[in-house]
This record gives sequence, C-alpha cells and structure tokens, in this order.
Amino acid sequence: MSRKSIEGLLAGRMSRRDVLKVGGGVALGAGLSACGLGGGSASEADTTRVIEPKIDGDLVYFNWAQYLNPSLIKKFERKYGVQVRQSNFDSMPAMMAKLRSGNQYDLIFPSAEFADKLIKENQLLEIPLDKLPATEDIYQFFDDPWYDPGSKHTVPYSLYLTGLGYRADEIDTMTGSWRDLTNPQAEGRSYILDDFQEGIGMANLVNGYELNAVEPDQLEASKEYLIGLKPDLRGFSSDTITNMSSGNAWIQHLWNADVINIRYRVDDPTSIKFQQNREGIPVGSDVFAIPTNAEHPGTALLFIDFVLANSPKNATWTGYPMPTNGAEKPYADLVKSEPELQVTVETLEKGQQFANLEGTDRENWDRVWTEVRAA
Amino acid sequence: MSERRFASLTLLPGAAWLVLLFLVPLGITLAISFGVTDELGNALYAWHPENYDRVFDPLFAPVLLRSVGYAAATVALCLLIGYPVAYYIARFGGRYKYLLVALVVLPFLVNYLIRVYAWTAILSDEGLVNGVLEDLGLTSDGVRFLNTPWAVIGGLTYGYLAFMILPIYAALDRMNPSLIEAGKDLYATGWQTFRHVTWPATFQGVLAGSVLVFLPAVGDFVSAQLLGGPDTYMVGNLIQQQFFDANNFPFGAALTTVLMAFLLIFMVFYLRSAGRAAAEARA
Repeated sequence: MSRKSIEGLLAGRMSRRDVLKVGGGVALGAGLSACGLGGGSASEADTTRVIEPKIDGDLVYFNWAQYLNPSLIKKFERKYGVQVRQSNFDSMPAMMAKLRSGNQYDLIFPSAEFADKLIKENQLLEIPLDKLPATEDIYQFFDDPWYDPGSKHTVPYSLYLTGLGYRADEIDTMTGSWRDLTNPQAEGRSYILDDFQEGIGMANLVNGYELNAVEPDQLEASKEYLIGLKPDLRGFSSDTITNMSSGNAWIQHLWNADVINIRYRVDDPTSIKFQQNREGIPVGSDVFAIPTNAEHPGTALLFIDFVLANSPKNATWTGYPMPTNGAEKPYADLVKSEPELQVTVETLEKGQQFANLEGTDRENWDRVWTEVRAA
Repeated sequence: MSERRFASLTLLPGAAWLVLLFLVPLGITLAISFGVTDELGNALYAWHPENYDRVFDPLFAPVLLRSVGYAAATVALCLLIGYPVAYYIARFGGRYKYLLVALVVLPFLVNYLIRVYAWTAILSDEGLVNGVLEDLGLTSDGVRFLNTPWAVIGGLTYGYLAFMILPIYAALDRMNPSLIEAGKDLYATGWQTFRHVTWPATFQGVLAGSVLVFLPAVGDFVSAQLLGGPDTYMVGNLIQQQFFDANNFPFGAALTTVLMAFLLIFMVFYLRSAGRAAAEARA
C-alpha cells in the first residue's frame, strides 16, 4: 500500500506527482543489493538494437499509478490482441532500484532528469521515431532536448509546471510572485513541496538566480531564504491534493495537474486557483523510454504511437498537458477558467527546466536541503 | 535423537530467517555506510569513514534531541494511557479479557501508514474533530491540530500504544491478585497498595513496554512526515531523505548505523535490568 491518499483511492484519481515517499522502501531495499555494481555495466552497443513497431508479445508496463487513461490501455489490448501487464512505482528512486535489480520492463516513464541519467548509463534503447507516425505531432521544442541529444532514446509524454495554488474564497491579494507564500491572508496555511529540487529551485528564483544555480554563495543565500520562510509555513508536503481539499492549505506550492485533481474533490471548484510566478516558472516533462533489456520493444513502440495518437483523451483524463499539437486545444478547454495551468511551447520557452545535477553540485543541493529541513 | 538435539534443530528456520533478513541487510548497511557515491549518484563500496564525521555535525544535534524528546513524551503518554487500560483488562476484564486484548491488537491489522494517514483526515481544519467542535459551538475557526509537534507525538502514541499495554497486561495478569487484597487487609489505601505492591510487581512490564515504545518511536518518520509541521523533523525523516531525495545511501547508512548503536545502549540497559530482576525473583 503505497499510494498517498485514501480519498484519492476512493475518488479513483490521483496526480502522478502526488506521491507518498513513505511507500517505496521495499523497492529501494531491492536496489541496495545491486548497489556497488553501479549502472555502468551496460555499453553503448546495447542501446542500438534495431527494433520495429510490431507485436512481439504482451507489454510489460511500468508507470506511476493513474498516470495514463485506462480506457486507452483497454483499447490497445483489444486492437492488438495483447495484454498490458501493468505495475507501478511511487517514486523515481524506486523505479531506478527496480531497474537496477534486473527487472525487465518494455516501457517506462522516467522524468527528464532520470532519462538523462539512464541514457548516460546506456540503459535505454534507441527509438526509431521515423517509424512512429504519431510522433510527427510532437512539439518541435523536443527535437533536441537537453536530456536526450537528438531525441534518440526518448519520446516526450507529458508536461508540467510548478506554481502556487490558492483558495480564492479566502485570499484575494495574490500578486503573481513566489513571495505570496507569506501572504498574511493565508494565516499560516502555506505549504511548500517536500522536494529538494522544487524547494531550492523556488528559492533560487525568488533570489533572482537561475533555477539550477550551483554557485556556493547563491545556494547559501537560497538556504537562508528557505530557513527564514519556515516560521511562515505550515509544513513541507507534497500531498498537495489532500492539503488543499481538506482546507489545511490555503496556499500550496504545487504542480499544475494537481489543481485539476483538487477541483474534482472540492464542493466549489472555482475557489481553487493557480498562478505562475514572475520570478520564474519551473517546467518539466516525463518521457516514454524502453530499457535495453526489454523483451517486447516492438509492442512498446506500437503502444507509444497509440498513446500519442490519443493524446487529447489522455491529457484531459490525467490533468497533465501533453506535448502534441492535437492535445493543446482539448486541454485548453479543460482549463478555460484557469489558463495558467496550460503548458504551451511558449511556456516551455519562458520556463526553466531542472537539470540533472551531478557530482559536487548535486551534493551541495542535497546538503542545502538537508540543512533547511534540519534547521 | 536427543531432545536437546531436536530442540536445536527446530531453531534452524528462525536462525536462517534472522541471518538472511536481519544480519545480511545489517552487514550491507554497515558496508555501505563506509561507501561513496559516483558521479551518477550510485552508491559504491569504498573506505570513506568521513560519512561518520558528518553524522556528528552539530547541525543534526537538534534533530536527534527532538527525536529523543518526542519518543520520551510518547513513552510517558503511552504509560499514562496504557497502564489503566492494562489494569482494567487484567483485573476486571473477567470473561471478556481476551476479547479486550484482541481489541487492543485489532488496529495493528491495518498498516500503520494508513492509520496515520486517516488521522490527517480526522484532524484537518475541516475534518471530523473540528466538525464536532464546531457543532458544539466550541470553535468557529477550526483548531489547528495538524502540523504541530503535538500531532506528531499523538501519532506516535497512537501508533505504539499497544506495545505498552501488552507487556503491562502480561505482568498484571501474572501477578497474584491476593497480594492486592492483602495490602487492603493491612489498611493500606488504594494508592499505597498500588505504590508498594502493584507497581513494583509490574515494573518489569512497564520497563519492557517503555523500551518497546521508545525504540520504534525514536526512528519513526511516518508520524512526523504526515502530521508534522516545518519544525518537527526527526532523525527518521533525515535518514529517509538521504535514501529517497538526496540519493546519498552512504550517509543514510551511516546515520542508520549510529542510530542503531545509540538504541542498542537502551537495549543493553533494559536487558541487564531484566536479568537482575529475574535473578532476584529466583533468589
């Protein structure tokens, strides 16, 4: 039992980032036994196996729970006469641990930075985009993404951005700034995400630095900002949907799709509003990827194409914008009253993406977050 | 086969279980606690004892102290709540005794995480408790229970209460009730009887319960994560963060090792005390 919200289970809808980190200990433990092998055992040759989009068996599918419209899975199964054997992870580290301990999956959904990691470790097969007609609809923005030069190993799946959700029935003085977290009207009912990247990234933006700033003096200033923010906060929590729908949070640092899911839960959906912030907008994407040890990569390719071709249905069901031309309009209709939830190419260009920090840069970020939490 | 040989053989499954699922993981944890991470954040076995230097960074002292403080408060609350419950069941449970014990254990059939999660719904600003308080006219604004140290300690108490009740119940149940009657026959007041007869006779149960509650409460992270606020960070959260967010398995393992060593001190203290009590009982 690792999903976050009991109410969410009842409602049957969850946001993919609405994740309980308490859950994945078992999977992480599995990773420990493989630890020490690192990921470096694969070579680049492993990634260039030629694969064709045709059925080569049932699809072994590994994704966040509730992160793909289930009716698409049923349709795919009917259309091709195969089964989609689903399993779920509840965090990126848990997904990595499962991969490292040798489990075979045909299709996984890493975030951009974990895709970067997997590509560097030669863990992902090259994907022949020219054989997947639906990929033509993908925004050109993703022709050469930072995490996958030449877009050779991944296909973008979904888009998200981080901002502030708030209760418009309680608060009418939002100013479009991250500093609204300390809005006195919230009376101490502000939460920030319990996520080192989003936390430090937000502080960097408030201080006028790059989202991914790694300069020690800048990180120090951001750390001080976060520590100074603590007395005004009610908590660090990524359980955004419960926080807002239970009335505990009047202002919540969150991902855009959470707002859609919160609105499904509350009596007055229009009371839940969302703002992007002028100091900077963290944007991100998750991708489709096929691990090198996949047994049925052909079915996986067909599935990717099928899901992309049905992006509109998928976007409106999951609450996440999808990076295809066809999905933009239906999603815009869904968020008509709150257009800042939309992630368009323009938003992507204006926003900043989290980098996959490595070595001492990564260590410094971790240290800062640990110090903020422990202070 | 002698009885003794046979008895030793029956230990094998348990011993294998302990070696495989306790000693081996413990060994891996210890080995990783001296490890390093590579550029990609993977843990590698190495000789890097500096991980332990960081554990003793003064930065973490408040976190450790807070954990010990919360756990001590939890023990005190569990004792205050648990002792009367155990006393009632043992002395006045009658034919319902086993049913009442079963009721104490019943919540444990549901995962701790789920139960604490349920508390977030019960205690939230627009939750069940505040709803009742509002209906009674006691509050209009909603009392802020959640995200406070009190909520964390409450969650811990709720989570580990049965560990206190059961050993005290066992001690009370073992105790000869005529001792209490003898106290009364000798004109002792209820309080005097309790202080000089019942309490000493059940002290080992109290001690066992306290250790059983304290150990998991110190290392707990669920309660602080779900019910806590910005300033309720416990050592369990710190360790969990190293494994999940920070991807720093070696430091997480070093913290785990130090925490276990610290808890072992309490364990040794308890075992010695229990051993002495057993020796006195024999004498």
